[in-house]
Formats: sequence, structure tokens, C-alpha cells
Amino acid sequence: MPTLTLSQAGKTASSATILRWRKKIGDSVNKAEVLLVIETDEGRAEIESPLEGTLTEVLVPTGQTIAVGSPLAVIGSAIAAQTPSSATQPKANPVTHPTNPAGKVTPILMPKAGQSMEEGVIVKWHVQPGAVVQKGAVIFEIETDKATMEVEAVDSGRLARIVVGDGGNSSVLQPVAYLADHDSDVDVFLAAQGGGAASATTISSETPPTGAQKEATVVLAPAETTSTGRVKASPAARKLAREQGVDLAKVAQGSGPGGRILSTDVPAIGEVKTASAPATPVIQGDLPAGVVRKRMSGMRKAIARNLTLSKTTIPHWYITSRINAGALMGFYKSQKAKFGCSVNDVIVMACARAIMEFPAMHSRVDGETVLEFPGANIGVAVGLEEGLVVPVVMNAERLTLEQLTAETKRLANQARAGKIENMGQGIFTISNLGMYGVDEFIAIVNPPEAAILAVSTVREDVIVKDGAIRAGQTMNLTLSSDHRLIDGTLGAQFMAKLKALLENPIQLIA
Amino acid sequence: MSKHYNIAVLGAGPGGYVAALKAAQLGASVALVEKEHLGGTCLNYGCIPSKAILASAELMHHVQHAAEMGIDVPSGTAVNWTKIQSRKDKVVQTLRTGIKGLLGARKVAVHSGRASIAGPGKVVVTKPAGAPEEFTADKLILAVGSVPSHIPGWPTDVNVVCTSDEALHWKTLPKRLLIVGGGVIGCEFACMMQALGVEVTVVEMLPQILPNLDGQVAQALTKIFTARSIKIFTGVKIENLTLAGSGAIAKLGNGETLDVERVLVATGRRPNTAEIGLDTIGLATDRGFVRVNDRMETPAKGVYCIGDANGRCLLAHAASAHGITAVENALGHGNEFNAPIPNAVYTFPEVGSVGLTAEEARAKGMPISVGTFPLSHLGKALAVNANEGFVKVVRHRETDQLLGVHMIGHNVTECIAAAGALLHQKASVQEIAETVFAHPTISESIKEAAEDALSMGLHLPPRKILRVAAGVQ
Repeated sequence: MPTLTLSQAGKTASSATILRWRKKIGDSVNKAEVLLVIETDEGRAEIESPLEGTLTEVLVPTGQTIAVGSPLAVIGSAIAAQTPSSATQPKANPVTHPTNPAGKVTPILMPKAGQSMEEGVIVKWHVQPGAVVQKGAVIFEIETDKATMEVEAVDSGRLARIVVGDGGNSSVLQPVAYLADHDSDVDVFLAAQGGGAASATTISSETPPTGAQKEATVVLAPAETTSTGRVKASPAARKLAREQGVDLAKVAQGSGPGGRILSTDVPAIGEVKTASAPATPVIQGDLPAGVVRKRMSGMRKAIARNLTLSKTTIPHWYITSRINAGALMGFYKSQKAKFGCSVNDVIVMACARAIMEFPAMHSRVDGETVLEFPGANIGVAVGLEEGLVVPVVMNAERLTLEQLTAETKRLANQARAGKIENMGQGIFTISNLGMYGVDEFIAIVNPPEAAILAVSTVREDVIVKDGAIRAGQTMNLTLSSDHRLIDGTLGAQFMAKLKALLENPIQLIA
Repeated sequence: MSKHYNIAVLGAGPGGYVAALKAAQLGASVALVEKEHLGGTCLNYGCIPSKAILASAELMHHVQHAAEMGIDVPSGTAVNWTKIQSRKDKVVQTLRTGIKGLLGARKVAVHSGRASIAGPGKVVVTKPAGAPEEFTADKLILAVGSVPSHIPGWPTDVNVVCTSDEALHWKTLPKRLLIVGGGVIGCEFACMMQALGVEVTVVEMLPQILPNLDGQVAQALTKIFTARSIKIFTGVKIENLTLAGSGAIAKLGNGETLDVERVLVATGRRPNTAEIGLDTIGLATDRGFVRVNDRMETPAKGVYCIGDANGRCLLAHAASAHGITAVENALGHGNEFNAPIPNAVYTFPEVGSVGLTAEEARAKGMPISVGTFPLSHLGKALAVNANEGFVKVVRHRETDQLLGVHMIGHNVTECIAAAGALLHQKASVQEIAETVFAHPTISESIKEAAEDALSMGLHLPPRKILRVAAGVQ
């Protein structure tokens, strides 16, 4: 079969870029009919077929540049083109829209709350089948890898069937329930779709549903969205990502100034470079009797992802100091009598003061840049039954101990109620396991922060001072740092400053 | 004991004085040495005085064309060269005082005299009168600039054969002027002198004037100059120049003989690096230039070189940008210089250019496409009676990245900043086409050319689409 080649279009152009193919494989082509449009340094040109026949092979994809004389396409004989079956094109959309003879059925979809959300767990349904749902009412609660949130209906109707129940998991934009006047309408609707809920039509997040689907889809508005950081990307990159269905938040690093994502950074379909944690190997072979397999909660998955990212990408190093905690405990008791502070509040305050003395301690690494924060935004780890969350005290260095105490209490209560405040704003975290009597432990840096302090228990200990031995109290503090930002000398200076503050806590009042 | 500074800057041109201010802003103690006037070549023998004179020349050009705009100027308009000179001197003096004030406000120690290096970290300042001063510094920034080149073997009488240094301070205008070299300086003087009534001939050895700029831009300027009776010879050498009477006679390679009153040599500039003691720190030069890396570091530890003297780009704004980079590196802030540097030529019409020309991009093997827009189709250009010129946008055909913008036309030196910002941000041409530019402006021609590069333009007839048959194998 004849191969067509690129001929010279223009006076000097020696190469051309394919702008678009006007014919598809299988199309019949007449002699002198335009096959494709190209662009050269001199402008655009149309390339016509010198033969009659069928386009059987396209050798150069759109966007590629080739030299004059290079092969472009293969044309089959004209007779082949007249074979009726191969020349007719299938309909563009094989999925027929469901017809609802028995009444209107509206799927309720798992919302996509945030760019990185792929699936959600239904924590709890607030309405039961048979109930009538009002537009704006909270109908269920979901948990994503970032937060728990309530989902409101933006359409009214009767909840006919729940297909993903409490504790169930669903990919985003998949039906989790249906609104319909009669339960039988749902059966008809699902039958028309050619299967159960699991094979229901998927609707891309960015493409508005069309035709009959549009009327039948409730767009769900999450009552609270997570604070996802804005992705820096050029308009062209955003457009391309939209077209290719690429999540820009997953493009590791843009090549533009300040990490701005450019259109050339957007990967082609199917080669998305995800920044998420590598899959944990699944155990092969037989498991002993009595083993129960449970789904990881969204929170556990988030912890897994963040800390794997931290341990695999942040060069950690550690430094431990033992402090004489006698003065600290005396100070703590005197202040507790006034406004009920905890030892941890005093440590947060001392850390805030010490952090502000060293610019790198209130900074974090962002690509190849360093972000220096204006204040000591300190994360305070709060252990919950489901896992660990870290709300952040903003500008802790500006607060008095009393204000700080009130703020950490408020944040912990909010966290227990499922609301994590100031997530992603922190530069430093304090993890305190002192109440469990641990002597010493090492914490993993909470990305994108650059350091974390592990606080151990205050215990009775032998204090040696000026050659004499006496009984006293000590506490171990271990700092884990990102070595890209914090060097040994800096970490040591910071710990020395922290030690000085905690051993003379009266300075914290001044 | 001699005084010690964190940073010593040698030369107070637009590279050196900006470096000194930056270093002081970052908290360093700074010494700045200047042998002549603050502001260096730019303020005293280059950018600023030439623009001041060009402004008078352009006004004269407009007066001559005032009737086209409905303004009848009474006969008897005349050029008062002395007044033009004194106005220029005043502008220069004002700016010099400004720099002095800025340096004082940041407590930069300014040493007047000729600096030379006397070993690592050691600087000696020789003064016209009195004993030499000596000081030490942790880091040295060489910002010694350049001087106009002379042609070896040519007569040295500065009343006849001179460079831009003298021409900007001429007491009288010549009747007939030969400009040797059609680069930026040559073209600016040709334009200026013609408008002030001088008969001008430009001789350029290379095939086009403005040799480093876009070929079509150079052609357009050639055409405009020729229409104003400026004689231009390109690809022509001057075989021989001799003094004759109160002027000179030049014999050209094409056989012509020119009899002129004065000759302006504008064939380039050479670095001012001799006699500054580079040997005492073991620093070699390459044709006089002190080569540096992107951090402006020379091979000698703690020694940086910026501006004309490093030979990367002989422009004032490049020197200032180099100066900032050098200071940031000298004070421990890692910073590499890689921003695009725009070119501006202050002829009327002006020329502005940033990034790769189509020729340069093709030579690098890049698949490109080019969009152009003639100012004769632009509302603002017609309204202000300045319909000469065009804009040319060069883009990468596959990635749509902007590669360069080249403009000739009214006020385009002001427009090129926008193109430079877009280029630095690695904008795509599609993004430029989607940007809203104010109308009517000259700068909206950048958007029009961007649209043309994408075959999307609306203010031009549709681009012709060639139609060719594919080859068969």
C-alpha cells in the first residue's frame, strides 16, 4: 500500500508540525481531498491526498514535528474503502441515556470535595430510605483522607434507595443513592443502565453532564471544604489539564518561575506522575484463622501517605536534650492554679519564643525555595481514637500563656468534633507522650513542616550539679529536623535556647 | 590600620552603584570607588545624555512634520545646539546628584580616584592629588565598564575623528558626518544628527545595520533612514581615512569616496580592565573581558565581575541586574542570573527586542512559527501619525512557548518590558492572545502578532493557507 510523505509547503520550510488530522483511520479519501493541516515557520498548510483510497495508518500524531520527506500516512486501495462495514463509523457514544418511563430518578453522587479527593467513606446517613429530602438539608456525612464533612442536597425528593451505606466506600462522582417517587422506578432506571449501581455511568468531574443525565443528577455541595492550597499553574496548563483529565495538584513540580506549572509540564493521559505514597505490598498466601481484614479509614490512609512521604523524601536527623525540669514543674503548677494550663502549653510557648530567634526554624522547604513564615505556627498533635490529627496554633509567639492555654483547648475540642483548624499552616509540631510515661521517643517530621519536637515524661532523676548529687526532675526532648533546612549547629543552638527557656520559665512571662 | 569593608565595588556606573546600594540594603559595609563621575558611561557618556539630545532631535522631527497634523509652524524654526547641550548637562547633573544622595542615604563610602587591586581583598585608590588611599574588603565586585573602541592606524585628532564620548559634548554640529558602524550607537547618532540638520552617511561592515537584531527590523529601519536621506552602506569596509583640510576623506571598499567634516567611530566598546591590578589576584582576561559564571563569580575567590567588563551583555540594565546577582551571591544568598535582557534602540521610530530572533531559533533547530502585525493597521499608531513599523512574535510550534518579540515603531521601547515579563514567566503565545490589552495602544500590537502566530488574528485578513499534495513512496 502506498505511503504518503510530507512534501515541502512553502519556500524554505524544511520541517512541519502536525496541527490536526482531518481524516481518521478507516475514512475514505478522495484524490485532492485534504488529509491534514500542518504548520511550518512560514505558516499553515493543508496537505491533500494525491490518491483515492482509505486511510489505513496514521504515522505521525498531532503536535509532532517531522522533516520534509518523512512518512505521514498509509493509504489503502479505493476498493477497500467501499466495503460498507469498515467505512461507516460507529456512533460516538455507545452509552444510551436511560429513559425513565415510570418516573424521574435522580442519582446522588459521592461529591468531589477537593482536587485530590478520589474516594470517600460514608460515615453516616442522616436520612433513611423513604424519607423526603429537602434541598439544602444535610443528608450524609463523608470522611476523606483530609477531613470529615457534611454533604447537603441541592435538590429535593424522596430517598428511594441507598446503595452505599454507613461505613461504605465509593469513588467520587459515583452514585451512592437514588431519589425517586417509587422504589420500582430505581429498578427500571438501573436496568436501563444495563447493570447495578456499581456499573452506573461515570461522570467526569470537569465535564458537565449532558442531555437526560443533566436533569437527573444532583450536584452535591459539601457543607465544608478542606483548605487545599492553590496550585500555581499557567492558564494554558489549566486548560490542557482539563482536557486531559489530569489533576494539576499531582504534577510534582512545575518548571516555570517559582514552580509554576506550565503546559509543557502537564503529562499526557496515562502518565500522571502521582506524588502519593507507593502502594504497600499486599500479603500473599494464606492467613491464619481468625484474622479480620478491615478497610483502612481515610484518616489512616492520609497518615500513611504523609508519613511515608516524610520518611522517604525528608532527610531526617535527630538531636536529644535532657532538661532539668524542676523549675518548669514549679512554674507550671503556679500558672495552672491561675488558669489551668498544661505542661505542654508551657512547652509550646517556649518553643514559639525559641523558634522566632532562628529564621530557618520558622521556615519550610517548598521545591527549590524556602518559605520563611512570619510567625511561629505550631501544630499540637491531638490523639483521637481513629488516629492522630494536628491542629495549628497560629502565631503562638504573640500569645500570653493564658491565651495560648485557651487556644490549645479550643483547637483540641474542635479536633475531637472533627474539625481540624489551620491545617497546612504550621511550621513546627510538638508531639507529647509524657502522660504515657515514655522516657524518650523520636517523631517523624510532619510535612511540609521542617521540624517536630518529641516531648517525653517528666521523671524523678539524679541531678549532678557542681560535683554534688541531688534528687530532682528531668525531661527528654528530641528534635527531628529536615536537614535540607536545619543543620546540626542550628538545631543545637535552637535546643540550647529552648533548654534555657524551660529551665528558667519565668522568662516566658516577661 | 587601613579600613575594612564587607564589599568593595570598583566603578560607579549602573552596575557598580546599584550593586553598592543593594549590598548596603542587605546590611553590608560598602566601599565604592569611581575615577570620574557617579553614574558611569550610562549617565555621563551614554544612555542618558544621548536620550536627552535625541528628545530635542525628535521634537525637531515632529516640528518638521507638524503641518501633517494640522499645526502650521511659522518659518524660522532653528536648532539651538548650545541650548540642547546645556539642557542635557542639566539632566545629567540632576541624576548625578540623585545617585550621590542615594549612596549617602545608605552610608556607602564613596572613594574618588582610580582603583587598583593590590592582592586578594586589597584595594588602592590613587587620587589626582594627595597620597593614595588603601583599604581591604571581604569581597570585590569589578564594575569597571568599557570605553569606545578606536580604529588602529586612523588619525587621532579628536576634533575630526571621535567616539560617542566626544560627540555627546560637541560644541558645534558638523555639516557632513560619517558614522563608522551601524550598530545601536551608530543608528541613534545617525537619527539624531539627521533630525538636527546634519548630512549623515553610515558605513557598516556587516550585511545589515543593527547586526544583532531581527533582519526585518533592520531592513525597516534602513528604509526609514534612507527616506530621510541618511546614506547607508552595508557590507562595506572603509579602506582608508585621511585628514584633509578641517575634515576627513574616506575611501570605501565599494569605490566611493566621502568628504566629511567629522567622523564618528561607533564600532563597539572595549572593556576597561587593563591597569586595575588583575594580575595581583591571578585573574586572566579573555580579549580584555573578565569571564564569569551565572553567579557573576570570576575564577578568583571572592571576586565578582559585572556589566560591560564581563562581556556578557553591554547594556546598563544588564549591568544593574548583574550587580544585584553578584551582591546576593557575595553575601551568601545563592542566586543565578538567567533572566532575558531586552534591547532598546532609541531611534525614531524606536526598536525593542527581547528573546530569540526567528533566525536564532531556527539556527538552534527549534520548530517555530512567526506572527507579525504592521503598525499601519493599528488605531493608536495612525492616530498619532506614527504608522511605521511592525511587531514580530516568535513562538515554539510544538510547545507554544513564547521565544522572542521584536518591535519597531513609535514608543516600542516602553512596550518591550511587557514582552520581557511574559518571556521571563515562560508564557505561552496562547496566553498572550488571551490577555486583554488596553485599546488603543501601541502595545496591543503584541497581542495582535501573538494571534497572528496562532492564525487567530481578527484585525488582519485571514492568513493564506498553502495547499500541497503529499508525496508518495
